[in-house]
Amino acid sequence: MATRAAEIASPSEISREDSSLARRPYPGALVVVEGIDGSGKSTQLYLLKRWLEIGGYRLHFTEWNSSPLVKSATRRGKQRRLLTSTTFSLLHAADFADRCERQIMPLLHGGYLVLADRYIYTAFARDAARGCSPHWLRNLYSFAPTPDITFYFRAPLDVAVNRIIAGRPKLKYYEAGMDLGLSLDRTESFRIFQERILTNYDQMVETDHFVLMDGTVQVNKLQKLMRQIVGERVDLSKFAPKKK
Amino acid sequence: MKKSKANSPAKNGSNGKSSVAGERASRSDESSRFYGTPLPGVKIEDLSGKLIVIEGTDGSGRSTQITLLTEWLESEGFAVQTMGLRRSALVGEDIDALLAENAVTRLTLALMYSTDFFDQLERRILPALRSGLIVLADRYIFTLIARAAVRGISRDYLHGIYETALKPDLTFWLNVRPEVAFDREFKKSHTISYWESGRDMSLSNDLFQSFIRYQSMIKHEFEYLSRRHSFIELDGEENVSEVNKHLRKQIAEELGIRGTQYHPSQALAHLWR
Repeated sequence: MATRAAEIASPSEISREDSSLARRPYPGALVVVEGIDGSGKSTQLYLLKRWLEIGGYRLHFTEWNSSPLVKSATRRGKQRRLLTSTTFSLLHAADFADRCERQIMPLLHGGYLVLADRYIYTAFARDAARGCSPHWLRNLYSFAPTPDITFYFRAPLDVAVNRIIAGRPKLKYYEAGMDLGLSLDRTESFRIFQERILTNYDQMVETDHFVLMDGTVQVNKLQKLMRQIVGERVDLSKFAPKKK
Repeated sequence: MKKSKANSPAKNGSNGKSSVAGERASRSDESSRFYGTPLPGVKIEDLSGKLIVIEGTDGSGRSTQITLLTEWLESEGFAVQTMGLRRSALVGEDIDALLAENAVTRLTLALMYSTDFFDQLERRILPALRSGLIVLADRYIFTLIARAAVRGISRDYLHGIYETALKPDLTFWLNVRPEVAFDREFKKSHTISYWESGRDMSLSNDLFQSFIRYQSMIKHEFEYLSRRHSFIELDGEENVSEVNKHLRKQIAEELGIRGTQYHPSQALAHLWR
């Protein structure tokens, strides 16, 4: 597992990313949150969004797996358990491509601040945990623009897993990674699957310039830090309401 | 298929993007049957069947030839499985819906086709090959690569997606001029399909011009793919029986069938022109 995870971080990507950081081909900005289920990322992004909305900034919020175009296929695949690691990954990539081409790219070109709940790193961590080749995954998503900030919310496995289990009546088949045959017990399978994903995320911290956020810190304190980092790394004045 | 390996730039490891695939390929015995990283969970020694691909544009006579080859192979005692575009249980219908809606972007469509392809490969073709069947593929990754490439998606990107696909044992390309394809298609359905004439690409308002230009672009991509992947190119403008004879000769050699004599049954006699 360690070697596979190490491959997820692709050194060749980094140099390209660094050079593109300086001059992006669009006036917008992209802020992304990543992390395993139960790490607190969605709560924090919601609060960031509220802060910016209340301030009147030009922004758009987008989340993983939300395109209506491929929704029926995903639902069918999951219900009938037709998905393999490859088709699972491709279907999510198709979904993401639709959102990227029809939402994210036009908004970035139109000068919006785009907030994304999960991004390509979710696919890298999750699909590699399912057995897809990291090299294949990097190519598959190579069309996606590199975020200005990627916040990685990290919580200890037990904390995150317990948060999820406490809030759900039953874990879903693919969500729990049951397709991998890790354990017959759904909760145990979920735990092992999330652990693999966590390992894969950790491997990308350096190579993909994640901003590490401690998911165990009090919500309002963590949000204060998040707002501060966004203020430092993104020129918010570009997205501020025009003064009359 | 040795020839295609030598032709592949990935094998030389010279240019940046494809070199990784090449390194991986040389690492394992499975390399001979995959373009790059093998599909997760596939044991190549289990695949005792043969994969035979027939490529060519609409109107090149692919389906006719596959129907005839199926009968011939079955008469020789071989079990046959077929595959084709948009036939997967997973997303076949969804692609039909996307095409009808015409709201889909090129990249999403390309990825939906790749989902359709891998669903068939993993859940129908590989099991068939494990059972020793002969798989006749009515188009394969090459049409998908060509269609996406003419719409501006990078060839390296596309080859990267399909590097986990199984290499065919034989790949035939039924080559016909776009004008001939147009005549045949028009005769068959009295109209020309939106996508086969590349109307999403705004090539021309005239449907005939649009069809010819689009099919010429596809043909150009196929010429490149043919060199890269060592296609067996056949003149698709020849008689059905002539093309079929060429196909049978190559397939008989691959499968170790001695005689290549064949006359279609009464049911298929109408195809024999």
